[in-house]
Formats: sequence, C-alpha cells, structure tokens
Amino acid sequence: MKTLAKTILITLALIFAAPGLAQSDNRDSNDELKLAAIEALITAPADKALPLVSKVLAGNHSTEVKEAALFILSQIDKPEAQTTLLKFATEESGELQLEAIRMIGIRGGDGMSNLKSIYDSGDSDAREAVLEAFMIAGDKNSVFEIAKTAEGDDFEEAVEMLAVMGARDELRQLRSARGTSEALIEACAISGDLECLRELAADDSDIDLQVDAIEGMGIIGGDEVNAALVEIYKSASNEDIREAALDGLMISGDDKGLLELYRSSNDSSEKKELLEYLVMTGSDEVWSIIDSALDGDE
Amino acid sequence: MNEQDDKLDDLVAAHKAETHEAPAHLKQQWHAAIDQAAALERGRAPTPRERWHPGSFFWGMAVSAAIAVSVAIGVFVSDDAIDNTPVPYLVENAAPSDAIPVAFTRGLQHHFRSSRQQLADLDGNEDAAMLVLRLVEQNRLFETAADKNNAPQLARVLRAFEPILLRLAATDIAPGDAEALRAQLSFELNVMLTKLAKESSDETHST
Repeated sequence: MKTLAKTILITLALIFAAPGLAQSDNRDSNDELKLAAIEALITAPADKALPLVSKVLAGNHSTEVKEAALFILSQIDKPEAQTTLLKFATEESGELQLEAIRMIGIRGGDGMSNLKSIYDSGDSDAREAVLEAFMIAGDKNSVFEIAKTAEGDDFEEAVEMLAVMGARDELRQLRSARGTSEALIEACAISGDLECLRELAADDSDIDLQVDAIEGMGIIGGDEVNAALVEIYKSASNEDIREAALDGLMISGDDKGLLELYRSSNDSSEKKELLEYLVMTGSDEVWSIIDSALDGDE
Repeated sequence: MNEQDDKLDDLVAAHKAETHEAPAHLKQQWHAAIDQAAALERGRAPTPRERWHPGSFFWGMAVSAAIAVSVAIGVFVSDDAIDNTPVPYLVENAAPSDAIPVAFTRGLQHHFRSSRQQLADLDGNEDAAMLVLRLVEQNRLFETAADKNNAPQLARVLRAFEPILLRLAATDIAPGDAEALRAQLSFELNVMLTKLAKESSDETHST
C-alpha cells in the first residue's frame, strides 16, 4: 500500500507541474490522468491527501477535476476538509458551489448546521442543492422547518423532498397548517401515506384535489388500495371520480379489480372502457375476455 | 342477439380504432413522468451542466415505485435479473455492534462494481431508463441496509447517488449530460470501492 501511495504522489507531482495543460487541446486525456490520481488519493493518509486536494481546488483545473477533489474531501474525516467544503459552498458559485453543498450532505456532521444560512442567502439552484443535502444526510427536520415558512416553488420543492424522505408526520402537520394542495397530495402518494389519501379521496369539496388523491392511491397500490378503488368506482357520483378510480387501478396494475368491474357491468360502453383499461394493464385475461365475447358468453 | 352483436361490434371497433391507447393525461403520467421532471429542469436558468431537480426525484420515485415489486422479485428470485447476488447483508443485524458487518461490506462492494458495469453498458441501450430505475431500486435496498448495519456514512453516499441516477433515467437527457453524469458516478463508485477495499485490507492486517 505504501508503494501505491508513493505512486500516487509522484503522479500528482507530474500533473501539478503542468497545470496549464488544463486549457490545452489535450484536456480530456489529461483530465483522465488527473481524475485517476485524485481517485487514488482515497488510499492516502488524510494528512497527505488534504494538502494535495486543496492544491487541486486552488489550481487551474477543470470543473470536473475539482468536483472529483470535492468528493475526496467528503470522505476525509478531518475538520480542515469540512472547512474547505464550507468555503466552496459559501464563496464559490455555479457548479462547484452546488457540488460542495452536496458534499456537505454526504459528509454529514457539524457542517450541516451551515446549510440553512446558505439556503437563505442562495439562489434557487443553491436552495435546491441544500434540500438535496438535507435529504442525503437524512435530516427531515431541517427540510420541515424550511417548508413551514417557504412559499411558491420553494414550498413545493421542500414538500417534494419531505415526500422523498418518507416524512409522513411532517407532511401531515404541513397539511394541517397550510391546507391541502396538489403538491401535498402527491407527497402523500410518494411517501406511501394511504390514510392521508383516503381522507382526501372522500372529501368532495374540491373535485380536482379529490381526483388527484384517488389517482395517487394507485401509486401506493396493494390489495387494500385496489379494493378501495373498486368501491370508489362503484359509488362514484360523477364521471371524473369514476375515471380517477380506473386510472388509480391502472396505475397500481390491478387487473383483478378491473376484471371484477368488467364482469359485473351490463353496459356495453362501460365494458368497452374497462376493456381498454385491461389492455393498458397488460392483463393476460384480456384475451379470454375477447374470446368469451366472440363466443357470445359475455 | 342484437345486444350481443352490439357488444361484439364495440369490441372489434375499439381494437380497429386502437382506442385502447392510454388517455393523454395517463400517457403523461406513465410514459413521460421522468420527462416531465426533465422539462422542469429545462425551465430553469441554463447552467454548464444540468443538475438534479427535486421534481425529478419526486417523479422518478413515482415511476420507480411502480417497478419496485418486480425489481424486488428480480433481485431475490429471477434468473435473468440484473443482480442475482444472494443478499444476506440486507438482513438486519441480529447482534447489534459498532462494527460494519463484513458480509454487508462485501455485498456493497459487489453492488458498486455491478452498478459501475451497468452504467458502462448503458450507452445506446434502448432500455436505459428502465435499467437505471432498477439500479435506483437496488441502490435503495443498500441504503436501507447501510442504515441497519452501522454504516450511516455509506448510507449518505448511497443516497447521494440516487438523484444522479434519476437524472440519468430521463429519456430526453442530452448525450453530453448523460456522459458527464455517468463519468461522475463512475468516479464516485471507484473511490468508494477503493476506500472499502483499503478498509478491509487494513482490518485484515490489524487482526
């Protein structure tokens, strides 16, 4: 392993000796060599790797090479590594800033406490990167705190991130505090909160939100959902709700429920619509249904 | 008899007219969910390389959730699944300890190598989007396993891979952007493989 470390250091010395090559026509192959050298730094002791990585970040290298160096920093368990990442996250702009924020999330720990101020002062890209960093670190509470006061796109992005993180309790609190919205319904579906969707599916005060909730149940899927969607279809008071229930069944891939509805229907236009949905689910039963229809059994 | 004929006519007419195609809004949900996320990206200010948008994660989750069951079956059962490795390391530790179980580390190394190979094979593959979504599902299994095997730092790295994978799954991603994302992931996978190998080697030599 020591031989490997020496090889790395010699390679790096060769690369650093000609930083201007980063601008040359030969940049791609040169970058490949630099990336291989930086990759190997993960095997070097932290006190040897840190100054070399810092030199890469301060030098005239491509964004790709510097991003690779930032990833190595995320894996070095030294306060200096965290300090450098924070410096890039607060003082740089563009790709390197966003990548540094991501690396703070990967690194976790004390550096996370600085992300909220970066969120508050950053542009929309930086704010998204901070939400992603919280997701990477598994920090639901920080995203929830942002969502509580965020507006517009920022609110929706925070809600989406909570959904991705499976933060059902936090999403329910947001719904109570800020009312139901399309973003929160989609979040219920993605976070797998069936109870939330069933409540909203039964609420006919806003037909659009009700339809979203019914369709969202299909994303969760499963026997319980499918039985509920069949019941919603049967008891639907208007065409929008019926169609939403069919959409939900199709999204969940439930051909049994669709078959049950098909077989219990005596209306030819309804049967035709249900057959279309069965075809879309790729049900094997479709061909026997067609066969039965051709035989006059249906 | 006439009623029966009407039903049959309806069926035949439906298929002749190809009315079994999905309604437009459902096509959007199913066949372009990830593209929708990509469209969100396009609406943002141009940057040197497109980054991930939470929306892409959101819709990617929606689509990948739909294949989660089949992937789980594929991972554990299917002969022609992407990854047939036995997965004892996905079982929660019976005896909690501060150490990361060796079985988990080996499994994770296999996952990283397998992911790297699959990323290399993506170029030009017609089913690239579906393959990437399966990678996402496998990655998610290992995220869970890492959390349960005293490896929060590895869980964070695995979670960091997911947004990049979902960006790669967008069917309308520009070839240059896809190549850049694959290169970034390959680099990070290589680093983690090297790091895990070194840690394993250090432990072997210290015992």
